[in-house]
Amino acid sequence: MRFAVLDPTNERSAPLGQLAPRPGSLRGKTVGFISNGKEGTKGFFAHLDRMLREEFGVAQVVSRTKSNYSAPADGWIVGEIANWDMVVTGIGD
Amino acid sequence: MQLSSNVYEVTDIGAVQELYHSNGWTDGLPVVPPTREAVEACLEWAMLSPDQLIGIEPVRAMPVTAEKLAINAVMAGCLPMHFPVVVTAMTAMLDEKFLLHGATASTGGCAVFIVINGPIRLEIGASGGFNALGNSDRATAVIGRAIRLALINILDVRPGEIDRSTIGHPGKFTYCVGEDEEDTTWLPLAEMRGMPPGASSVTVMAAGAPRQIMNEWTTDPREILETFAAEMRANLRHYSLHAGNYAIIIPKQLREHIQAAGWSKADIAAFIHERARIPRREWADVGKGAVVRDRGDSIYPALESPEHLLVVAAGGPAGGFGAVIPPWLGHKSQAVTVAIGACVDCEPPKG
Repeated sequence: MRFAVLDPTNERSAPLGQLAPRPGSLRGKTVGFISNGKEGTKGFFAHLDRMLREEFGVAQVVSRTKSNYSAPADGWIVGEIANWDMVVTGIGD
Repeated sequence: MQLSSNVYEVTDIGAVQELYHSNGWTDGLPVVPPTREAVEACLEWAMLSPDQLIGIEPVRAMPVTAEKLAINAVMAGCLPMHFPVVVTAMTAMLDEKFLLHGATASTGGCAVFIVINGPIRLEIGASGGFNALGNSDRATAVIGRAIRLALINILDVRPGEIDRSTIGHPGKFTYCVGEDEEDTTWLPLAEMRGMPPGASSVTVMAAGAPRQIMNEWTTDPREILETFAAEMRANLRHYSLHAGNYAIIIPKQLREHIQAAGWSKADIAAFIHERARIPRREWADVGKGAVVRDRGDSIYPALESPEHLLVVAAGGPAGGFGAVIPPWLGHKSQAVTVAIGACVDCEPPKG
């Protein structure tokens, strides 16, 4: 018996945000970290902070932590992103 | 009826299964072929057009349409009469308070626990009797499964993709119960949560696996409920200290003792709220002393308030077996109750 069956998937990708222009160099730049607040992020971001400053000449690292690690970043954190040259986030599990 | 989904022509039922399994469109079990006719029957029963938006998952901005939900419901084994319950469960899950993306992506591995209330239970045969949390009946089996398949296929909640669960639990195949409203004097869960009397409703909760308890050696409500509270204290110790929605399943044998003493669901919730709490120092007893720090004397209740307890009457007629169903993680996700057929964003009728 032949069947004609339907596709159960969304058949569309999640809309992605527009990527900001890539910085040519990290020297003198401000980098923001958005941590989900999990234990594993502490060592990861501390190491990255040191590396960015010492090896890549980053001028400033701003660290922020989400109030809920299972939800998108709080509005006040998202609002700060415009002041940074780039942002790094990670799940830290 | 104009369906917009891609159509695949396959030679036989075996080929249907291979097509769906090989594309990652199943939960690992065989599926019912979602033909145009079967999908249209579901949509017609629920009086929904294929492009009707059930809602949008807000974090990834992914739409859930009636057509896609019906395809997954058919695959799960739903008959048209089951589909309005599936639609309502998904509507409830898309409420922002449910935090659907977080709950389904989390390493915590929760499932969506679904409680059906009201007359629709009897129409579709959603049993709250024997084996209530297991394979009790066709309706609850396929409705719970439809929600899982919809998460997998419409919102990409596949293991290793959006679903990052470390171990998950068997409720992720299906996790649905109809409350046994006929065999209790208590108000139905949905009515306790503000739904009008007699309305058919669906409650969803992001939930861990059921933790079974037994107490057949007392008729005192306090002692019976102390066993439930103790299991909740165990969850606070072994899993998470955070307060959230808990559900407790109370079977007929235990209900009769509690009801005979004149206790209502509100009385039960007040007692459990008081008893299900631990000092943080108890984490040191179970190998988690590293995070007790200087807060050992701080008290952590399982429930922020008695209303956060979902008391459900269900289970076979004999046996002092109940269950505690813990939250995924505190109150990050809140239980949501929606009446079947209720339009949450319709304009009020004019005149």
